[in-house]
Amino acid sequence: MYKTESGEEIFVIDSHIALWDGSKENQLNIHGDQFISCFYDYHKNLSPKEYLWPKEKFLKYDSETLVNDVIVKGYADMAIFQPVFLNEFYKNGFGDFDANEAIAKQYPNRFICNGTLDPRHGNRGLEELEKNKEKYNWQGVKLYTADWVGNSKGYKLSDPAAQRYLEKCQQLGIKNIHIHKGPTVTPLNRDAFDVADIDDAASSFPELNFIVEHVGLPRLEDFCWIATQEKNVYGGLAVAISFLQTRPRYFAEIISELLYWMDEDRILFGSDYAIWEPKWIVEKFVNFELPEDIQQETGVTFDLNVKKKILGENAARLYNIDIEAQKEKLKDCELSTRNVAAY
Amino acid sequence: MINKEKQVYEMLDKVYDPELDQPLTELGFIDHINIQNNEVEVIFRLPTYWCSPNFAYIMAEDIQKYVSELPWVNQVKVNLVDHCASDEINQGASEGKRFSESFSGLSDQDRDLDELRRTFQIKAYYARQEKLIKHLIKTGISKSEIISMPVQGLLALPLSAEGQSLKERYLEKKESLNHSSAYAITTPEEEVISIEGFDDYLLGARRTRLSMEFNGHYCRGLLEARYDLPSTNETVALKR
Repeated sequence: MYKTESGEEIFVIDSHIALWDGSKENQLNIHGDQFISCFYDYHKNLSPKEYLWPKEKFLKYDSETLVNDVIVKGYADMAIFQPVFLNEFYKNGFGDFDANEAIAKQYPNRFICNGTLDPRHGNRGLEELEKNKEKYNWQGVKLYTADWVGNSKGYKLSDPAAQRYLEKCQQLGIKNIHIHKGPTVTPLNRDAFDVADIDDAASSFPELNFIVEHVGLPRLEDFCWIATQEKNVYGGLAVAISFLQTRPRYFAEIISELLYWMDEDRILFGSDYAIWEPKWIVEKFVNFELPEDIQQETGVTFDLNVKKKILGENAARLYNIDIEAQKEKLKDCELSTRNVAAY
Repeated sequence: MINKEKQVYEMLDKVYDPELDQPLTELGFIDHINIQNNEVEVIFRLPTYWCSPNFAYIMAEDIQKYVSELPWVNQVKVNLVDHCASDEINQGASEGKRFSESFSGLSDQDRDLDELRRTFQIKAYYARQEKLIKHLIKTGISKSEIISMPVQGLLALPLSAEGQSLKERYLEKKESLNHSSAYAITTPEEEVISIEGFDDYLLGARRTRLSMEFNGHYCRGLLEARYDLPSTNETVALKR
């Protein structure tokens, strides 16, 4: 919960967090080392100094660190895990469903555990998806289209296999499809700039919500283009929002573009923890105002009402969370009263 | 020797990152060069281990192409370091292979890079054009004058130093798209912009320009973090 100076409460849902294992012990090869190092460069480049982690800690951190950074310090009332496989880089994969699940069990009503899938896993993967839905009751999945599987260095949502998986998601009621369409990790020559596959998937599966993480950066304009046309396409602010610290003017340009081309109901806050801690991001975001010239150019509104939607209300709608009822449930949660100053 | 090095760097100034529309030399992507008699080795680096190999390949091809234009050069070796596809790219570009030949092991290489080049030429065209149009509007030229201005008229237009440079950069891109119409400000497909559609057109171009500029900051920041370079972050927040 974030309280403004005037005493107004903002319910915060961090829609993009992870508990990962990038440790040396878990790295399968040089790619595993390079992958986590690249994440660390993002962390190093955009975090305020007081929030910089040592590399060792960044490779692998424990669940209590996460809970404190995200919920206790980070203002988030709730957070959504977005795990990925990366099985070609890490021995036990990068994310871990059971570890996420354990945190969610320990602190009820705080976490939503999404899953993941990969259409290149064939029929076995489809069966797996069904089992996982039953076991974890996934409401959403994170798709990492740039992941490697054997010789394949990526896939598109328009691939027939991906269509089968999306069909299965629709059937099972896994409604929220978070897709990493951002900083590219793919060597496929067309994937690098083409967002047509989201367009395609969004029209083929109108019952599903497609949350494009990182708002398509570094190809924001392509994202805006499809988001204007497809009403079930959403924008996840993870990565983009971290520019608040070092490039506030660019963040202003991005957010005003998004507000202009889509609307305030389809933008979701995400910190991308542990790449960045939500505390400073939420503080800066709430207090941020658009520079006058940018505001005039696009004519968009970026007031507290809009910020509240982005910080929590929009994600709540996608995940069927009644904010008032949820506040009631969290009233007596140990984390609500845990002393922030101790951390 | 120093003279040779300078010549190579002048050629490298012509190699642009297609996605950012900025020269590699300005982006800090050129690590260093080695010159041995008539052989040149260009060592370059990118912001991440994962930067798209297709873009990297375009840059490697262009390094090869431009440096080879120097009359005294008889061999150019391109050396991309710290990249997941370093081997394929270095070998392919140095031997003058097509991208599809160098990456034939991958399943999805059904198109070559020409189309990608063209896509990013068009983006750069929009970005440069939007900057010029905004400048023209600021100097008091009306929208209807802008959309009906002949190329000769634009060339003859007296502008400030900044305006002149925006004009030159725009015209350079226009030429690379092989435009032949008499109008100075048209869509990339050489269609005349209507007065009713002008504002929307400009907003669309703005979106493209912003995207490219943003990417420039983004890539530069990652390169700085990766190689511990001095930071070029905004010093005065929110000021242009």
